[in-house]
Amino acid sequence: MDAVVTEKAKLSVKNLNFYYGSFQGLKNVSVPLYDRKVTAFIGPSGCGKSTLLRVLNRIYMLYPNQRAEGEVTLDGEDILHGKQDLNLLRARVGMVFQKPTPFPMTIYDNIAFGIKLYERLPRSELDGRVEDALQRAALWTEVKDKLKESGLSLSGGQQQRLCIARTVATRPEVILFDEPCSALDPISTAKIEELIDELVKDYTIVIVTHNMQQASRTSDYTAFMYLGELIEFGDTEKIFTTPTNKKTEQYITGRFG
Amino acid sequence: MADVAYESNPMTVSDSKIAAVKRSGAGDVRFHALTVAAAAIVVLLFLGMMGALTEGAWLSIRTFGASFVTSQKWNPVTEQFGALAAVYGTLVTSVLAMALAVPVGIGIAIFLTEICPRSLRRPIGIAIELLAGIPSIVYGIWGLFVFAPYFQEHIQPWLVDAVADIPVLGTIFEGPPYGIGMFTASFILSIMILPFISAVTRDVFDTVPATLKESAYALGCTTSEVVGSVVLPFSRAGVVGGAMLALGRALGETMAVTFVIGNSHKIHASLFAPGTTISATVANEFTEAVGDIYHSSLIEAGLILFFISFVVLAAAQLMLRILHKRAGGVAA
Repeated sequence: MDAVVTEKAKLSVKNLNFYYGSFQGLKNVSVPLYDRKVTAFIGPSGCGKSTLLRVLNRIYMLYPNQRAEGEVTLDGEDILHGKQDLNLLRARVGMVFQKPTPFPMTIYDNIAFGIKLYERLPRSELDGRVEDALQRAALWTEVKDKLKESGLSLSGGQQQRLCIARTVATRPEVILFDEPCSALDPISTAKIEELIDELVKDYTIVIVTHNMQQASRTSDYTAFMYLGELIEFGDTEKIFTTPTNKKTEQYITGRFG
Repeated sequence: MADVAYESNPMTVSDSKIAAVKRSGAGDVRFHALTVAAAAIVVLLFLGMMGALTEGAWLSIRTFGASFVTSQKWNPVTEQFGALAAVYGTLVTSVLAMALAVPVGIGIAIFLTEICPRSLRRPIGIAIELLAGIPSIVYGIWGLFVFAPYFQEHIQPWLVDAVADIPVLGTIFEGPPYGIGMFTASFILSIMILPFISAVTRDVFDTVPATLKESAYALGCTTSEVVGSVVLPFSRAGVVGGAMLALGRALGETMAVTFVIGNSHKIHASLFAPGTTISATVANEFTEAVGDIYHSSLIEAGLILFFISFVVLAAAQLMLRILHKRAGGVAA
């Protein structure tokens, strides 16, 4: 918990408890997510890392038996309670899922769809935004000649980059990645990781991953979670070289999980 | 392939195992033949039905030719038959029933899958399935004895007055309030097909992957945007399929319609006027059809209904293909 304090926390989680019905999925978790940094959540299956991620854009609200208690702030504003407009929150905090989820529409429309939710743009400007988003997701050169084809015609890795482009297009401030590479081959994975390196210049990034190499390669900060608790948080380099907690050490050295 | 594997690995595969594989191979051939036979029965039934109908209708086809579908003169006394009124009634009641039932049915399905609290989902779902199981004669009786009198006394006169001065609507909703008629038939039909549409649509909506909906919500979509832009496009094939099943039922529905449509072989501009459909005509008149030509004409009407159903299905396929193309070609 004694990580660099000079950084500004974009999102801040304090004393968060999360329940699936009567099962407690997160226990008193506190973690800062620094502005324009990559923070990785690692830990064995069921440790609550995806649950924590799903609190940050409150997507868990889709399921009536799930609830969160505690404090989560975005730029100092409480986002967990009361009047927070969910659609607005999700416009600011985008999410990329485990499996690519292109919408059943053309490649162009997959991107334009998100933009049109928030802005009314003339066609030429919309075209520019779509191209920009696809550029940022390093997909433009591969799809520029088939924008009118279905998003589902792309390969898995391309679909995932399409989903990233779709998220980027709405100009969020934070992007949440929920194991974005777990369904992808190594080459596609490398491309996504490069992309994250690029995106972090403009966005605050949170990534949940099973893959410890991925966490050490892509992130600036790492949070290790176990059984719903945050065991250790700190500089990625420090977590992976000199963890202070025994459990963390055992996990990153592959002795369990 | 299999044989090579056995030779290269003679010690690991026992004779009994090989025999077992061969036995199940033979079983597979029988299974294959059975499924082919089952499929062939459908094709044979279809051809047989076409053949029988055409043969039965032949006298009428020869006698009246094209005038059978262009004339609305249906006179058993002079033995002049034209089924235009019945074809018109069939199409109008079915289309109107679809127009009433499809939006409501999709609405029910959206409510059930996206909005309804989990604890209410099953009771409402079961209620819908029960509605689908009610025999059509019950709908007919209800339509004739409950709905039609109520409609005649409380709604129809008011509606006729209200729209009398509006050019097109005034014509569509005019005339004496009989209670029964084309509109009542369409209304009853729409209630009958509603459970079909909502049950099928709900099942199709349930196949939309949760993560796909989550990603739309994660972009900041509202429920209506998720439904409109993700759920409906994703499931359009199933929704159109469900609607076509319902339309098929509406086109062929006999008893309920016969009760409330008025059974008149005349085309009126007003939907409040009595009319008839092909199936109502056949059901009403088959027993009293004396004379070969009358009989044959009724069969030709049936043949036309068969043909209409076929065209509707083909049109549905065409529509799906167009939707498909518009979405970029690959999405199913």
